[in-house]
Amino acid sequence: MPMKPLPSSSSRVPVKFKIPTADNLVPIRLDIEIDGQRYRDAFTWNPSDPDSEVVVFAKRTVKDLKLPPAFITQIAQSIQSQLADFRSYEGQDMFAGEKIVPIKLDMRVNHTLVRDQFLWDLNNFESDPEEFARTFCRDMDIQDPEVGPAIAFAIREQLYEIAIQNVTSARESRISKKGRRGFEYVPASKAGGISLDLVKYFGQKNSVVRKRKDWDAFEPIVDILSSEEVDALEVREKKNTR
Amino acid sequence: MATTTRPDTRGEDLDELDLYTIPIHSSWFSWDDIHDTERVALREFFDGSSISRTPKIYKDYRDFIINRYREDASRRLTFTEVRKALVGDVSLLHKVFLFLEKWGLINFAAPPGRGAGGVGEGDDDDGGGARRSRVAVEDGAPVGVRVVAVPNSGRPMTLPTPAVGKHDGRKGSTAGQFRLPSLASYSDVFAGLMKQKGLVCGSCRGTCDESGCYEYTKGEFNICANCYNNGNCGENKSLDDFEFKEGKGNSASHAATWTEAETQLLLESILKHGDDWDLVAQDVKTKTKLDCILKLIELPFGEFMLGYTNRNGRDCNVDGNANNVSQVQSATSELPPETKTMEQANDQTEEIEPNQINDVLNEGPPLKKKRVASLSDGGSSLMKQVSLMSALVSPNIASAATESAVSAICNETFCPREIFYGSNSHVSNGSSVPAMNHLGRDIENGETEMKDEVPPAITDAQGPLPTEGHMPLQVRAATATALGVAAARAKLLADQEDREIEHLVASMIETQMKKVHDKIKYFEHLEHIMEKEYAEMDDLKGLVVSERINILQKALSAGISRWRDQFSLKPLTGS
Repeated sequence: MPMKPLPSSSSRVPVKFKIPTADNLVPIRLDIEIDGQRYRDAFTWNPSDPDSEVVVFAKRTVKDLKLPPAFITQIAQSIQSQLADFRSYEGQDMFAGEKIVPIKLDMRVNHTLVRDQFLWDLNNFESDPEEFARTFCRDMDIQDPEVGPAIAFAIREQLYEIAIQNVTSARESRISKKGRRGFEYVPASKAGGISLDLVKYFGQKNSVVRKRKDWDAFEPIVDILSSEEVDALEVREKKNTR
Repeated sequence: MATTTRPDTRGEDLDELDLYTIPIHSSWFSWDDIHDTERVALREFFDGSSISRTPKIYKDYRDFIINRYREDASRRLTFTEVRKALVGDVSLLHKVFLFLEKWGLINFAAPPGRGAGGVGEGDDDDGGGARRSRVAVEDGAPVGVRVVAVPNSGRPMTLPTPAVGKHDGRKGSTAGQFRLPSLASYSDVFAGLMKQKGLVCGSCRGTCDESGCYEYTKGEFNICANCYNNGNCGENKSLDDFEFKEGKGNSASHAATWTEAETQLLLESILKHGDDWDLVAQDVKTKTKLDCILKLIELPFGEFMLGYTNRNGRDCNVDGNANNVSQVQSATSELPPETKTMEQANDQTEEIEPNQINDVLNEGPPLKKKRVASLSDGGSSLMKQVSLMSALVSPNIASAATESAVSAICNETFCPREIFYGSNSHVSNGSSVPAMNHLGRDIENGETEMKDEVPPAITDAQGPLPTEGHMPLQVRAATATALGVAAARAKLLADQEDREIEHLVASMIETQMKKVHDKIKYFEHLEHIMEKEYAEMDDLKGLVVSERINILQKALSAGISRWRDQFSLKPLTGS
C-alpha cells in the first residue's frame, strides 16, 4: 500500500530536550577518590526530585558504605554538577528526527561479562531501558541482581550522549540553512553517521529479517568469570583509568 | 510455512497438517492478512509516521516470530532470540513480541517462564540449571502419542474434552485432553439404571420390591405380593401354584443396597475377624451372613483375598476344592488396600510359574481352581497381580493388553449399558460359581489377552448382581492394574532401547574410524606416488636442460651467433 506522505514538518520541528525514554531519568556516574579510598557508582536520578534530596542521598550513602564524611560533599557536588549539565540542555531544542541508533553493551558487573548490540529508536519516547534489562536478564537466566540495573544504566548513558549530540546538531543546523534538503538525509549526515540509513534497511526491497550469518553478531554474549579472571580484569581497569 | 491453525482441530487432519494450538480468542488471526486487533494494538506501524514502521514490516516481524516459535512449539521462545535476528528498535520489537504472546500466538504450549523480576527476589536457591529444564506437566496424552479405540486400527479416538473456554494465561494444555470421568457422577447417572433391576410382576407390571414376589412353579412367571393377595395371577393360573420367594426379593433388595460404605465395612471386618462370618455379619449390620459371603465372592478379587490369607506363608500347592463355600470358609482374608512391593511378587513368581505353565487349556474344575489359587498367591494387592502377570507374559502381550485395557476403560464410560444388558443373562441365582467360572476361563484365555480378562471379569462379576454399587472400586482396580503393567513394561523396554542405542552408536563409531583409517592410508599411498613422480620430473628436467645445452653448443660451434626463431634466421642466412 502506498505510504502516506511522511509528515516531514513534524519531524523537523525540534522537540524539547529529554532523554528519549518513558521515564526522564538522568544517568549519574560517580568516581571519587579521597585518601586512597575510592567510591565508584552509577545510577539514575530523577531530575524532578528537589535538590535537597541530593544531600540527603549523599549522607545516606556515606553512612551505608561507611565512608569518611569528606565524601558527602564530594558526592553531592558531583551529582549536582551533572544535574546542572542535564538541565542546561533541557531548555534547548533537540533534533528528534528519525533516528535508529545502535546501542552497544560491553561491560562487566561483578562476575558477569555482557557484550551485546542492538538497535534503539531515539524517536520512541516510550522506550524503557529498565524493561529491556529485565527481559534480558530473564531470557539469559542471569543470577546476579546487579546486572539488570547496570544494563539499563549503560543504555541510558548512551542515549543521553546521543541526545546531547542531537542538541548540538540542532543548534548547528539552525545556524546553517538546511531548509530545502529532505529530512531523511539531514540526521544521517549531521549526527556523524551513527544512525541507520533507514531507506537501506526498511525500504520496500529489503527484508527486516537479518541473514542468518548476522545473527551471531547481534546475539548477546553473557560470560560468567571466575574470581581470578575478575581480579585480573580489575587490575587492568585500574591501570587504564590511572 | 505452517498451515492454518484452528483451535479445536481433531483427528481427521492429523496426518496432513501441522497443528498448533492457539486460544479461541485469537481465532481472528490469519497469515495472509493483518487484523484490526493488530492495527489497533500496534498502531505505530499503521499510521505512516515512519519509513521504518510499515504494515509490511510489521507482517515480516510477526511472521518471523511466529515461525520461529513453531520450529519447536514446546520450548518457550524468548525475546532475545528473536531480536537478534530482526532489524528494528528493540522496544518496538518487544511490544510486538508481547502482543503475540498475550494473544497466545506464541508460547502457548510452552512451559511458563520465570516471573518478571525473579532475578532480584532471592530465588537463587532455585538452582539456575533447573530453571531451564523445567519439568512440563502436560494434560492429556503426550505429543506424538495417539490414544486409539482399538489397537492397531490407527483410528484415533475422540475423547471427551472439557469445554474449551478461556485459556488466558493457561499454558500446557494440548489438544485432545484425556480425562477419566469422575466415578461419583458416573454412579449418579447410572443409579437409575441400577434400580430397575428388580423382577417385574407378570400381572400388574410393577417391580417386585421388598415385599417379596411369588414364583409360578409350573413355568416362568412372577407376580408381586400385592397381586397375589388380590388374586391377580393371570390367566390359567391358580394361586396355589405360586410359591413365595422371599429370598429373591430380599436378596434383590439387599443386593441393591451394597453401598461403598458397606463394602468398606465388610472388608474391614473381614480383615479383623477373618472368616468368622457371624462377627462379620454383626459388623455389617444390614447384611446377613450369607450376603456377606456372597458379596465377598462377588468382589473381583474377593476369592483371592480369602485364598491369600489362607496360604499366607505357605506353599502354593493347592488341592482344588470344587466347593467354593468350603474354600471360603477355610480361608481368612487379609485385604491390604495399598500396593505391596514388587519383590514379594517376584518371589512368588518362581513358585507359581511351573504351575501356570503346566496348566495349559485344561478345563477341569480342580485345575481351574489351582490356576486361580496360584494367581491368588501373587497377593491380594492389585499391583502384585499385575507384576506377576506381566512377568509371565512377553512384552508384546503385555503391551497389547495395556492398550486394550486403556481402551476398555475409555469404552466403559461410553457403553456401560451394553455391559449391563449384555450380562443380564447371567442373572441366575446370584451364586458365585458362575462368576468364578467366568473368571477362571478368562484367566486361561488370558495367556494371550491378559487385560481383557479384567474388565470382562469385572463386568461378569457385575453381571449376576449388577445392582451393586462397587463399580467405582472396580474401575479403579482396572485403572491401577493397567497403569502398573504399563509402567513395568515401559521401564524394561526403555532399558532395552538404551542398550541397543549404545550398541548402535559403538558400531557407528567403529565404522567411522575405519573409514578414516582407510582414507589416511590412501593419502599416504598417493603421497608416495607423487614423490616418485616428482623425482622423475626432476630427472626429465635435467635431461631437457642438458639437451638444450648440447644444441646450443653445436649451434655456437657451427657459427650461428645467437639462437633466434625462424624469421630472424632468414636475414642471417640471406634467403
